[in-house]
Amino acid sequence: MTETDRSALPAGERPDVLIVGAGPSGAVAAKRFVEAGMSVVCLEQGEWPDYARARAGFPDYELTARREWNWDPNVRRAPGDYPIDDSASDVSALMFNGVGGSSVLYAAHWERFLPSDFRVRTLDGVADDWPFAYEDLEPWYDEVEKQFAVSGLEGDPCLPPATPPPLPPVPLNKVGRLGAKALNELGWHWWPASNAIATREYGPLHACVQRTACPFGCPTGAKASADRTHWPALERAGVRLVTGARVTDLRLGASGLVEGAVWRDREGREHFQPAGVVVVCANGIGTPRLLLAANDGAGIANSSGLVGRRLMMHPFGNAIGVFDEDLESWRGPLGQYLHSLQFYETDASRGFVRGAKWNLMPSGAPLGLMLPGLWGEEGAWGEDFPRKLRERFGRSVLWGVICEDLPDPDNRVVLSDERDEDGMPGVRIEYRTSDNTRRMMAFHLERLREVLETMGAREIVLNHELRGSGWHLMGTTVMGEDPASSVVDPHGRTHDVANLYVFDASVFPTSSGVNPTATLTANALRCADALVGARRDQAVPA
Amino acid sequence: MSALTSELRATLAGLAALLVPAGEGLPSAVEVGVDGALLDDVLRARPDLEEPLAALLRDVAGEQPAAALARLRSDERERFELLGLVVAGGYLMAPQVGAALRYPGQEAKQVDPHDVVSVIEDGLLDAVIERGEIYRPTPR
Repeated sequence: MTETDRSALPAGERPDVLIVGAGPSGAVAAKRFVEAGMSVVCLEQGEWPDYARARAGFPDYELTARREWNWDPNVRRAPGDYPIDDSASDVSALMFNGVGGSSVLYAAHWERFLPSDFRVRTLDGVADDWPFAYEDLEPWYDEVEKQFAVSGLEGDPCLPPATPPPLPPVPLNKVGRLGAKALNELGWHWWPASNAIATREYGPLHACVQRTACPFGCPTGAKASADRTHWPALERAGVRLVTGARVTDLRLGASGLVEGAVWRDREGREHFQPAGVVVVCANGIGTPRLLLAANDGAGIANSSGLVGRRLMMHPFGNAIGVFDEDLESWRGPLGQYLHSLQFYETDASRGFVRGAKWNLMPSGAPLGLMLPGLWGEEGAWGEDFPRKLRERFGRSVLWGVICEDLPDPDNRVVLSDERDEDGMPGVRIEYRTSDNTRRMMAFHLERLREVLETMGAREIVLNHELRGSGWHLMGTTVMGEDPASSVVDPHGRTHDVANLYVFDASVFPTSSGVNPTATLTANALRCADALVGARRDQAVPA
Repeated sequence: MSALTSELRATLAGLAALLVPAGEGLPSAVEVGVDGALLDDVLRARPDLEEPLAALLRDVAGEQPAAALARLRSDERERFELLGLVVAGGYLMAPQVGAALRYPGQEAKQVDPHDVVSVIEDGLLDAVIERGEIYRPTPR
């Protein structure tokens, strides 16, 4: 590969790198490549988010959000979405297919994995170790925390000493203070939480104004999603981002290298984009979908048989407390005020291995309190409606619980018979929650019951498993040293195809029990650095 | 022309009266007009709801509202949730409901980046810090 500055690539020429997917992993990789003087094209099947449809502050905010910013692509049905059959899954897969990827809809909870998360086999005798350690990833955590405007407070004793995040944390407000005091009374860990939310003006971002709209299209421009933090600057730097470009195939040449991607535009016209190297960043569902459908349907990079397997989605539950006191819980970042990892590390006496993270959040705007969703599968109707609306609105808090789910080859993504509008197969998810996870969730929710009682809650609602909660999609092209038991090597290169890479959370060997964006972006940057460093030796098609 | 005729709006009002009655100092859904101007507001925000709502209301026309709701809730979950979204969504857009709840909407209030200083000064974190590290280090 060349080392001359080819970042401003004329249309039709072969770029050094083709990235499939403009989410956070693709964004940090593109930034690194273009900084190294490499030419980059990114094909994104969706469009730019339309923040004119982000209506926080208007009366129709919640109604609009449930359509335009719905987390479930089967409900949202935007032009970049594709069919996902989740009828054989305990959890629905959630995502945003467009520029910024699922960072457009995430709640911006920013959590580094813990050291033990990289050594699960060694420490707990289950699953697998990662091919590198926490300390190896640390420099890239530091870097992506600057890129994603992370706000937080240094010194959290749940992690080794680390570089302080660039911004101070979001306020605790009344809700956070109430939770912190209860945890202090119990003698349990808590810390002001880290969020990818600007707490003052920062680069292209504005300071948060607490509209509890983080996962529904932040109208303020305070949340660090890759469409705001990366892509405008990347386009100015010469990266060619093509939206409405659905990659339907990766074409293998006689040399065994991938020559480029076949893609379709919105009008159904087929194109071929040649590339020196292809990096797939299409998330834990979209990446295996493409690899399984590629090479004219024969599949690609799947000699291990593991493409699509080991899907992990972080079963999510919550503990909700209703209080007599007015907590102004309709206000705040949403976003986490604080987190607790008191019971994160394995204690075999609890009857399960691994652990979960808790995060405390405000309950938000009123419609979400009354309809099926985070408050459970039943709405409140009849005489219950005015009573529960009065009780809950402004006076309720939500503890989220993210359980680590261990990799299971039977939890997987396969191609379905249903096709998208471009004729590409959709996917079917086969996913069951394990007994270990169910025991873990029950334990954690009982501890949170104690927390809410200590906080003085008049009513406590425990939701053990919420179906519509598959925000975190991981594991479906696992990384490792051995080609027989992994799809990509420790730097994201597929074992089978020397110029095909995967940089998203599909490569995670295990899931941890915390939110994955910090780790998926840090690892993507680490892998991009490795590719840049070895580019003289990189095999490319003739 | 709207698919929601006056007859269908009357059917909606009958269902809404049962879904959201008055109470706790809050008006009922019918009092605030979820079958009238608020319905127009809902459908302006969510035009995708108009046809399925009209179809639902045509299907239950002539049924007793209580019986229709019970049937939808037990047998047609998605349609019941659609109806609930329209009624509760419109209701919570009503200015008089917001006033009764003392809810100013998602008003902007910029975060105070110095809030954590007061948390530290108040000593809230002292015990957490004193207890020390709780993570398992990378095994050597």
